Amino acid sequence: MSYDDVEIEDMEWNEELKAYTYPCPCGDLFQITKDDLRLGEEIARCPSCSLYITVIYNIEDFLGDNDKSKNKSLEPAKQQPISVA
Amino acid sequence: MEEAKRDEEESKQQQIWSWGAGTEGQLGTGKLEDEYLPQLLHLPILSSTGRISTLACGGAHVIALTSGGRVFSWGRGTTGQLGHGEMLNSLHPKPVTSLQSYFITHVSAGWSHSGFVSDIGCLFTCGDGSFGQLGHGDYMAQSTPVKVNYFADKFVIQIACALRHSLVLLRGDQVYGFGSGKRGQLGISRDKIKSVNLPQVTCGLEDVEIVSINANGDHSAAISADGHLYTWGRGFTGASDANFPQLSLSSLRCTEAALGWNHILLLTGDGELFMFGGNYHGALCDLEKMSAVKHLSDSSGAVLNKVSGLDGVKVMKIAAGAEHSAIVTVDGAIKTWGWGEHGQLGLGNTDDQTIPQTVSLGPDIQNEEAFFNVYCGSGFTFAISPHEVLSTVEYRSQGSVEFVVRSQSSNSVTYSVEKPETTYSARMPNEKSQIYFNTETIL
Repeated sequence: MSYDDVEIEDMEWNEELKAYTYPCPCGDLFQITKDDLRLGEEIARCPSCSLYITVIYNIEDFLGDNDKSKNKSLEPAKQQPISVA
Repeated sequence: MEEAKRDEEESKQQQIWSWGAGTEGQLGTGKLEDEYLPQLLHLPILSSTGRISTLACGGAHVIALTSGGRVFSWGRGTTGQLGHGEMLNSLHPKPVTSLQSYFITHVSAGWSHSGFVSDIGCLFTCGDGSFGQLGHGDYMAQSTPVKVNYFADKFVIQIACALRHSLVLLRGDQVYGFGSGKRGQLGISRDKIKSVNLPQVTCGLEDVEIVSINANGDHSAAISADGHLYTWGRGFTGASDANFPQLSLSSLRCTEAALGWNHILLLTGDGELFMFGGNYHGALCDLEKMSAVKHLSDSSGAVLNKVSGLDGVKVMKIAAGAEHSAIVTVDGAIKTWGWGEHGQLGLGNTDDQTIPQTVSLGPDIQNEEAFFNVYCGSGFTFAISPHEVLSTVEYRSQGSVEFVVRSQSSNSVTYSVEKPETTYSARMPNEKSQIYFNTETIL
């Protein structure tokens, strides 16, 4: 059973792993590559345990994206508008 | 009346055990391996600095706070969460040297960030800041604890670091949130909030006297002075998210809460243990087998269950990992249940457990003699022997500050002090053991 359903925008791009990641309760990271996403794969696995999550995303956002132009809307929420008191 | 004294006299060496996921060095074993059974640690750097008063366990790192206000950390450090001034893992405890000029009274470890509170109410944070969870007004990572200037003229008592957000409790009961707010876990706005990088007041708790805060995963919780539990953030067991603190299970009076990623443990003043959520991963507790003695439900329909398999034995300490739980019962037993794939239950295997199972720390350990404390990180567990006899500590304020410490056999000692220190030890008349207590938890 999938541990959780996670939207791609809630995953973080990890440059070292060249993968989108999301915290796994074991302490490691669920991971899925852009190639996986282009192929329609929706399961992100954890390399350390048996758990996996279902990634919710739009495959069109990844087709034709050959790493040359990173789709801004899919980048992690690092430079989102800041709401400040 | 006796003068309160720091715990100068310590008869026995404090012992520390760890088990579970260990591939980031978080177990302190000096190895990068999972351990299925409790490992007695040899940590000379810690034993030379005095007693550990508390541990904070995060995603894959650990922070140890000593009774002298010093801080050590180890495990994953790749986003600066260890506070060592570098983005590196550490297999062994290392001092957080930049905090050495402060007396630290409270620590918290989140998924990949850390928080430290000093005796004069200053807050420091370090680690991953991608969601604003450090509260510095940016999204930068910090490898050394940095003072949160927003609270410069305020007195911080506690910080709770979670997956991607943080909560802060100020003296004067105010609760603040910062970091990711996507699931409502900051409690700061009716509108959907992605993230904030400066603290904002959590709404709806203004008229409530909050004594403790808790956060893990995308959940937030606070307990009021009269024992009410408030929760906000991600809903438990499929319930909808709450953007503001909700009074949960108003019929319950709890003294302590421990949050996992999908469950919450609640301890009452009578030592009764309840849990809600927890069947999400399917392993935490078998709801069908739960005792039918007490089923309470709140307005959202979430069902609270008394944890079964304890046969009426009172519970003294509780801790929750992402998907497992650990408790200490009044008879000194450590029990665990939940997800076990990395050995985080300490039972010698990788099985899941639906009912609390007793952990053996080794044949020579007399659980009756010492009351252990347990701490859970995401996928690992720690136990320490503080050699304290659990007791009740009352706090009275009549001009000066007065504490009444009562042991289980109802002996009591009263302390009257001008200015409360953080930690005291008390020796009961006619009893061998000493009582350690932390004024932070009762003030």
